[in-house]
Amino acid sequence: MKDIREDIAWAKINQDVLKSLEAPRKLYWVILFFALLAFGFGLGCEVYQYQTGMGVANLNNPQVWGLYIATFIFWIGMSHSGTLLSAILHLMHADWRKPIYRFAEAMTTFSLMTAGLFVMVHIGRLWMFYYALPYPNDRGIWPNFQSPLLWDAMAIFTYLSSSVLFLFVGMIPDLAIVRDNMHAGWRKKLYTLLALGWEGTDRQWRNFRVTYLTIACFLIPLAVSVHSIVASDFAMSQQPGWHVTSFPPYFVAGALYSGCAAIITLFIMLRYVFKFEEYMTLPILKKIVRLTFAIAMIWTYLNAVEFASVWYSHDAVSKDVLIQKMTGNYAPFWWGMIFCGSVVPLVFAFKRFQTNIPVLFATSLLLNLGMWLERWMIVAPTFSHGYYPWTWDHDQWPSMVQWGMVFGSFGWFTLLFLIFCKVFPSVSMYEVKEMVYHRTLHLKKSEAAEEGAH
Amino acid sequence: MSKRHLLALYSNFDEAEAVVKELRTATINGFDVKDDMVIKSPIEHPEVEEFLGDKPVYVQWFTLIGALLGGLFGFFLISGAQANFYMQLKGGKPIVPFPPNFVLTYEMFILGGVFITILGFLICAGLPAKRSALYSSKVSVDNIAILVKAEEGAISVLKAIFTKHKALEIQEEAGK
Amino acid sequence: MSVSNLLENWAQVRHEHPINDKPHDPYKWAMAIDLDACTGCNACSVACYAENNLPVVGREKFQHGQQMHWMRVERYWDEDGREFPDQGFQFLPMMMCQQCEAAPCETVCPVAATNHTADGLNSQIYNRCIGSRYCSANCPFKVRYFNWYDYPTTDNVWPAEMTQQLNPDVSVRGKGVMEKCTFCVQRLSAAKVVAKGEGRIVREGEVQTACQQACPTGAISFGNLVNPESRVHKQWEAQQVVLDKDKQEKDEKEERAVLRGYRILEELRAYPSVMYLERVRESAV
Repeated sequence: MKDIREDIAWAKINQDVLKSLEAPRKLYWVILFFALLAFGFGLGCEVYQYQTGMGVANLNNPQVWGLYIATFIFWIGMSHSGTLLSAILHLMHADWRKPIYRFAEAMTTFSLMTAGLFVMVHIGRLWMFYYALPYPNDRGIWPNFQSPLLWDAMAIFTYLSSSVLFLFVGMIPDLAIVRDNMHAGWRKKLYTLLALGWEGTDRQWRNFRVTYLTIACFLIPLAVSVHSIVASDFAMSQQPGWHVTSFPPYFVAGALYSGCAAIITLFIMLRYVFKFEEYMTLPILKKIVRLTFAIAMIWTYLNAVEFASVWYSHDAVSKDVLIQKMTGNYAPFWWGMIFCGSVVPLVFAFKRFQTNIPVLFATSLLLNLGMWLERWMIVAPTFSHGYYPWTWDHDQWPSMVQWGMVFGSFGWFTLLFLIFCKVFPSVSMYEVKEMVYHRTLHLKKSEAAEEGAH
Repeated sequence: MSKRHLLALYSNFDEAEAVVKELRTATINGFDVKDDMVIKSPIEHPEVEEFLGDKPVYVQWFTLIGALLGGLFGFFLISGAQANFYMQLKGGKPIVPFPPNFVLTYEMFILGGVFITILGFLICAGLPAKRSALYSSKVSVDNIAILVKAEEGAISVLKAIFTKHKALEIQEEAGK
Repeated sequence: MSVSNLLENWAQVRHEHPINDKPHDPYKWAMAIDLDACTGCNACSVACYAENNLPVVGREKFQHGQQMHWMRVERYWDEDGREFPDQGFQFLPMMMCQQCEAAPCETVCPVAATNHTADGLNSQIYNRCIGSRYCSANCPFKVRYFNWYDYPTTDNVWPAEMTQQLNPDVSVRGKGVMEKCTFCVQRLSAAKVVAKGEGRIVREGEVQTACQQACPTGAISFGNLVNPESRVHKQWEAQQVVLDKDKQEKDEKEERAVLRGYRILEELRAYPSVMYLERVRESAV
């Protein structure tokens, strides 16, 4: 199993990564085409819903949120692992993060953008969405700062802007490389502009290091707070099945989980499509897989905690909701979530599967299916079986408009992500060089020490 | 007297380090090692600081101020807005409730911190910058460059030092 | 400047309602519904449709659960195996917005479109609502109704000949906003304006809600809870139901058939303003 070679020429690193901006495999265009189709379909659904009214989504009185909010949580969750991989591993000096953090951060950014779309398509009067923004106005009317939805908006804004900045700052040295090597044209102008005149001077590097570290330190608590706040949308409410103390850590664990699974999927895709075999190596994949396995087990544990505390709480209504999930109309999906979320990751425990690309690809998709089901199983059963028996509605089924937008969101995400990877270097060149450099130094040092010992 | 630029490229870090050490110890008329020398490297070398001497970084002060201002601004904006909103009561909560306001203050603390840190970075690192007089795209591959600025008389001395340490290439700014 | 406003009114902005707080003054609108008097005729619901310009969504949308009845009459069958289960229906409340004193819907609205008013109502500002539906999600009674379609422009909601019967005092809601029972706030406002002009407060019996007016058996009483003369006040007192308690301390010695008053889901501490009087059943007598 090959890791990144210590003696790889730095010029080759540049060359290989720069190639990804020019000539991906044909598969790239095929995926891009289907992503565009899916997005177009979702957009059509939204236009129809906007024109006609939210009723076409087949939402009704108890079931007011449906798939939109479930998928919103899914995308917010997916964004978390980019930060985990990038910021936490940066602080821990884990150098294996270096070849893969760039695309993980891009994933963070774009899944946040996708999540933002779901907030939009979900609200009844999209054309009035700006009422939720705290802008000064002569009527002195402000949004309600007590609402967890507003915390959400604020947290997502902070998270999105911070991770875009983090992504951008980390990319400046690479943009300078691209600027230096790009043939003349609009793209060269773009990179010249974005590189901000970076030349790798000592002053630039010195400030760069401190800045990068500082933002990484901010991003970690921020990421945790974002998903805790999303959990608060539910935990702060009064509804059975939502009003659960363990929701914030449960959501954060779920977020890291689905994010790691998505990183595995995208890792395998990028590795093939952009021919990054040399940098996205199997030892790195193995590390991510082990990390995912650990998080999967944490998630399983937190799930068990939630069920156990409901079961023994004597809160008859919450217990009813739990029983409803396990045995009612939603049972196939609920058990599907348990299977995909807690049983399938056991595959990762076996060494021979930890580097088996087809198995990992399929498994990571299944894990994310499980995590999507988890979010749906948080939202829908509580609506279907709340406090007030007369409004129980176990049969409501999301219409094609809802499914279309869920489907379309995957297209939108893939579209953004693929465009990013084609326009910007999705492997950090300067950091791969750093990684190689430090490994060489380390090798030299240990060789010297060995010689000294003789 | 106007100064001229000179750029030398080295293939590895140790060679560049030797040059810098020599430049620091040598006294050359019309060349001040503190202000007139810039090291350009493709990757970050924390060791650079050791042989360049003490060069402080001020970004963290921006961070501190930004985070504090962000938090304070957040809290007072929110509480002030709540007190302003016709004192409108909401189900069983005071008009200015602390727990939600602290959540938002926390977010604003981070937002202020991140934004002002970036601002501080741009200011401290002098970005966006005009491109310097001499630059080689090899720096973005694997070479280390030493850019110096010196008066006419010192140029030849510097050049000699560069050549002595086996510079791969020496670029010279055209005389004025 | 709002910060100076904040500091000047510190005590006021930090005070909590309704626990350990003085009641609303001079008005606190409340209701008492006697389920024993109710025959389940639905007149209240129909009156509500007429008074508040509620859209009649039709069979298909009703089947999708998108009906807009602010006041709904619920029936629960008995499942004790009798031949005609509808003979054993147990509970027949007219369910509408309970105008909670500490309403769960208010805190969660992102745009502050729903608030607690000075006379103890739970208000809904249609113009401010963006339709996030969080209020409905957090309502334990599920008595908030969302405009899933643009009903004013939908066919057969108000057929042409019926547009003349729309109540001009009530706005017609467009698509994408939440709405709910208002305790006929348009009537309350009108009565308050008249009373204010005469320098007094609204008298008992001066204002009625549409449902109360239409009820043939007088099961619904509505009025000002802080007015000791009002029927609602007397009923609440006789039934020993206190507005700001989540658990009522009732006199144990009284017969159950006499102390029939209760509020729905009281333990959630929403402090509803509607008291129901339990139906007297065979098993209870």
